[in-house]
Amino acid sequence: MARRRSRSRAGSKADQEFVSEAEEILERVRLDLADLRDQQARGTEVAPDLVNRLFRSAHSLKGLAGLFGFQPIHDLAHHLEDVLDALRLGKLVLHASAVDLVDRSVQLFSALLEAVGDDAALAAAAEPVPELIRGIEGVKQPPEAPSEAFAGLDVNPSLMRALTEYEEHRLRENLRRGRHILLADATFEIISFEDGLSELSAALREVGEVISTLPAPGESSDAQIRFSLLVGSDLPGDEVASRLDFPDTSIRSIRSGTEAPAPEPGSGPPVAEEPPPLADLRDLESLKSISETVRVDIRKLDELMNLVGELVIQRGMLSELIARLSGDAQTVRIGNELSKLHKVLDRKLRELQAAVLDVRMVPLRQVFEKISRVVRRLRHELDRDARLELRGADTELDKLIVEELVDPLMHIVRNALDHAIEPPDERRAAGKEPQGSIRIEAFQRGNHVVISVSDDGRGIDLEALRERARSQGLVPPDEVPSDRETLDLIFAPGLTTRSEVTETSGRGVGLDVVRHNLTLLGGAVDVESTPGRGTTFLLTLPITLAIVQSLVVAVGAQRFAIPLTAVHETLLVEPTDIQRSEGRELLNLRGEALLLRRLAREFGLPEADPDGRRFAVVMGLGDARVGLLVDRLDGQQDTVIKPIQGPIAAVRGVAGATELGGQEPVLVLDVSAFLAEALGRREAA
Amino acid sequence: MRALLASALEGLTSPVKITEVESGFEALRVLPRASYDLILTDINMPDINGLELVSFLKNDAKYRAIPLIIVSTEGSERDRDKGLSLGADAYLVKPFQPGELRRIAEELLAGDGRTDGAT
Repeated sequence: MARRRSRSRAGSKADQEFVSEAEEILERVRLDLADLRDQQARGTEVAPDLVNRLFRSAHSLKGLAGLFGFQPIHDLAHHLEDVLDALRLGKLVLHASAVDLVDRSVQLFSALLEAVGDDAALAAAAEPVPELIRGIEGVKQPPEAPSEAFAGLDVNPSLMRALTEYEEHRLRENLRRGRHILLADATFEIISFEDGLSELSAALREVGEVISTLPAPGESSDAQIRFSLLVGSDLPGDEVASRLDFPDTSIRSIRSGTEAPAPEPGSGPPVAEEPPPLADLRDLESLKSISETVRVDIRKLDELMNLVGELVIQRGMLSELIARLSGDAQTVRIGNELSKLHKVLDRKLRELQAAVLDVRMVPLRQVFEKISRVVRRLRHELDRDARLELRGADTELDKLIVEELVDPLMHIVRNALDHAIEPPDERRAAGKEPQGSIRIEAFQRGNHVVISVSDDGRGIDLEALRERARSQGLVPPDEVPSDRETLDLIFAPGLTTRSEVTETSGRGVGLDVVRHNLTLLGGAVDVESTPGRGTTFLLTLPITLAIVQSLVVAVGAQRFAIPLTAVHETLLVEPTDIQRSEGRELLNLRGEALLLRRLAREFGLPEADPDGRRFAVVMGLGDARVGLLVDRLDGQQDTVIKPIQGPIAAVRGVAGATELGGQEPVLVLDVSAFLAEALGRREAA
Repeated sequence: MRALLASALEGLTSPVKITEVESGFEALRVLPRASYDLILTDINMPDINGLELVSFLKNDAKYRAIPLIIVSTEGSERDRDKGLSLGADAYLVKPFQPGELRRIAEELLAGDGRTDGAT
């Protein structure tokens, strides 16, 4: 059984909460940053919203770090927020050095987050912070002059005196942005001024920012009240006046806007901005969404699942007791009543189980996002042009499985990009589009999720693969493996199909590791390839590891559990049905030869009657099938598979242990191990 | 907060009638309807800010003479000072003691002119 990679930091709960939330923000930043680089590389205009999102992420990170008291992270985020603010407002041109700074900040944030929980490490990780902040300050414009008198503003000084510090700041910002500063004077009936004023404010917000609303003193009669609204806008006063049609309202410009430096084409977001009130609103929205989500350590869910699992076992015992009561004439009535109650309990327990399982489910989207980021980066590094198509991002899997899936999936995608997709020239010569394609598709099939990774690259050269396997001693010289067997050799430990090991695919981590990791998850990986046309990897994974239905089988007195997800069917096999060929036992299953294995022999157990009737359990993962011969079928059970420790853990073919109703421990079979051997694979122990 | 201020003021030596309003706008609406002897205002308000209200009141012949207390939070000294320079008569820093408010209010109502306000 795969256990979740335990987070090595021994930080407090608050630390963990902080890290997990900060990582989420950082993940968004990375994604947006990659998009931004992409857009720059393509020479298209950078979407203003992208920079705005980056700004908001930095803002959230700052707030979060402040809340949890991580000063260096807070400070860095604060400066980053400033520079992103300048970028999103078009005050800074989005050139490579600014993007690099964001990039470096992200890396530093990662290092800082890694160190959270270890004060010494955190201090060490924070060392580069001041230097980076200086770098950020370097690209920023000279800091604003503190509280310069707003000279040149043609406005009643009493209005200026009534501005709060924040309003002064907003005014300064508008001035710095080169916006027009307008003063809207409006008179309202005092009994209904609020409606009129809020209408006017809303209309002004459409064209700019309302900096201050000042009731104008002295001049108003008792029945009326006049307001002066200070507005910053990209539009000059006369244009705003002509757009707004309000009675008893005059708009005049108290400072003409200055032309903001025009951003280079394609290098920066346009100066036009939504007014800050909108942005503030969105901040509120994002806060709201956080408060509606509860973060839970997955270990807590594991505990919950274990409890449900134990209830399931108790229910099993209860049902045996009820059967005994119902079977006795003296207690049959009470037995039947209990049986009714038991049915309700059973239904509720199933609902509970489904609900707890559902909480653990997460969409594959996060994994897909990570992959697309890596692909973007690799495209530049490897000079391979490949389109990445992702489908089925909403397919859900157990969080634990999703986490363990990232590395194997990434490995396959990297391989595709590095080895399978040919350089553009080679592709043209082969009559293909110069741009390659990698398609990742996820979908649910029964109790499994299938993820296929297809490329339209050069495919796997079977002849070369056979040669290579032979020269490495993986295939005896006199044996000619079938195409299917040959293809499967790419999962053999130690085999590389290329002599040079590239940086991308890494050294030493091969497809054997991918297969091994997926097997630990109770999954499987298969490959199909057509030379010149491309390769498809099929990853099959169980939806959850927490509770599985198992088929209980027995050999003599010994019982075993087989995860039902891997069981295709069961057959009654007469001794005469079994055919023998080259030391293997085979069964004709609707015209196809099914390899048989005797469970008793696998574990060295005595067979009651070697020539008697047997049951064959047809098991399979992906396309592989094997028939397991057992003495008896003992029905289906919900099982909570627990990892086993000690010498038994090393025994091939055992995935873990579980308890059955009678609190009898039972070994759970590792189906993939049986399949592997059925296919004639020799895997390293 | 308003209730707190009101209950503090109810303890004044001479009985007072208190009008509570929720915002600067509402204050503007109720002001012409009656005559008031003392005004208390916060600085951070949803519509107009307290400084704007002070500026309005202290520049209007009808309201100029009414003593006015600004209630501010710690750390907003600049806004508080601006309020005083706009003509506010005293200030009170949150959190405050009811006794402090009563002392300031008594002084202002007695027509002693400006006080130093809370310290």
